[in-house]
Amino acid sequence: MGILSALFGRSKLKRPSREQFFVIATTAVSLSARTDLNVTNFAGVVFNPVESSFFAELQNEMDALLDAGQAAAGTKFEVKDDGFGTRWVILDDPDFEDLVTTIHIVGETITEHGFGDRLIAAVLRFDFEGKAAYWIYNIKRGKFYPLVLSGRSQRDNAAEMRLGALMEQEKVPVEPNLENWYALWGIPF
Amino acid sequence: MRQRSYGRDRELTFRMSFTILMLVFVYIAFMGLLFWAGVPWFFILILAVGMSVFQYYMSDRLVLMTTGAKEVTPEQEPRLHATIERLAAMADLPKPKKIAIMDTHVPNAFATGRNPQNAVIAVTRGLMSRLNAKEVEAVLAHELTHVKNRDVMVLTWASVIVIMAGFLMQMLFWMSLFGGFGGGGRGRDSGGGNAMLVMLAVYVGTIVIYFASQLLIMALSRYREFAADRGAAVITGAPMQLASALQKISNDMYRIPEKDLRQVEHANAFFIVNALKGGEVANLMSSHPPVEKRIERLMRMQRDMERGGF
Repeated sequence: MGILSALFGRSKLKRPSREQFFVIATTAVSLSARTDLNVTNFAGVVFNPVESSFFAELQNEMDALLDAGQAAAGTKFEVKDDGFGTRWVILDDPDFEDLVTTIHIVGETITEHGFGDRLIAAVLRFDFEGKAAYWIYNIKRGKFYPLVLSGRSQRDNAAEMRLGALMEQEKVPVEPNLENWYALWGIPF
Repeated sequence: MRQRSYGRDRELTFRMSFTILMLVFVYIAFMGLLFWAGVPWFFILILAVGMSVFQYYMSDRLVLMTTGAKEVTPEQEPRLHATIERLAAMADLPKPKKIAIMDTHVPNAFATGRNPQNAVIAVTRGLMSRLNAKEVEAVLAHELTHVKNRDVMVLTWASVIVIMAGFLMQMLFWMSLFGGFGGGGRGRDSGGGNAMLVMLAVYVGTIVIYFASQLLIMALSRYREFAADRGAAVITGAPMQLASALQKISNDMYRIPEKDLRQVEHANAFFIVNALKGGEVANLMSSHPPVEKRIERLMRMQRDMERGGF
């Protein structure tokens, strides 16, 4: 947001930047050689729904698409609202490529309906040294960052820094500002 | 592909530009007056800017001190932190540096800090207990929009003139008490009566400018409240949640005894709802627009949304 927009108090949400997301598809292949970091079956998209009938319409269409995906590629899905006013589409598929594709479809559907600025993040669950770790793709900024939880409301910052370095090694675009490594509490998978 | 996002509020942008322009004129008039009268304007300017810089850089700490808000960690208030982080991600803002809670049952919230990196967001216990999760989220989004719009910066710098005029008014008052306008350069070649007239003109002019700029700043502040409401609706996608929160907060405000209100006096400028009771001039002299007007605008946004117009 420019300084003029700030001065006049205009509010506009940033549009999604999706290009960088597909880096993840190639990364997964090179990760398969590692023992300390592994992909899992779980991923999700989190967005902030709008209280309007247009959004309800979108939700119906998305459900239909995901149903079709479940039948064709076997990608299981679930839509869940969390306690923070955001909605999750949770995906479960042993095939990593299918996961990435379905995330993309969800993002596209939302964007096509004109709600692209409601997308917050795509989240992929990994196994990092036996712990649950998440790679979070901040859709607005087009950057990844790690999230490792220890306990219910604490982050394992040390593990996150290591994972971040590792992601950089894998040529993943990592968010450079640490204050933008937002936590996502209560990831439902 | 259609982007269904909020258009800007042209009327608001226009009013804001007009107010800022008027404020610039008042500044110029004030400087002209001081220059004409031979008052040491430079000294006053430096002093006022100095005070503003101090206020600007200390705003987060000062407000926390005067309101008695206590910073809370994610472990103490996981929900609050989580909600703010999600909203910040949505608004593409860094996470506020401090999140604080005020231990009062007056439902309210404020944001301060000179820039998004040093932002402070504070809510009262009353806000968290009386509002539901969605409404709290809407209020937090309103505060985050203040941060995003740099309202502390805008209002601090706009207020430099008020500080200057106020300072000059006091100076003139004391000088008139002790009977001297000092060795003002103008007094020498013309008679003493002339100097008195100049001084009177400066005095009256300063008072006029003081009130004019005060009114303009109040107007600007009200427009920025509207802008923050709009921003909150954009971030949460639910204008009516904020409307309902405002309704609850403002109703409660009238039931709270005066004593509690006085405690929160200092941080008033950035509270979501004006915590002080105003008199008849409230509308013109108030830093916050009336709640009914704010709700009316939010309802208009909701209607636009349902039409797909934004």
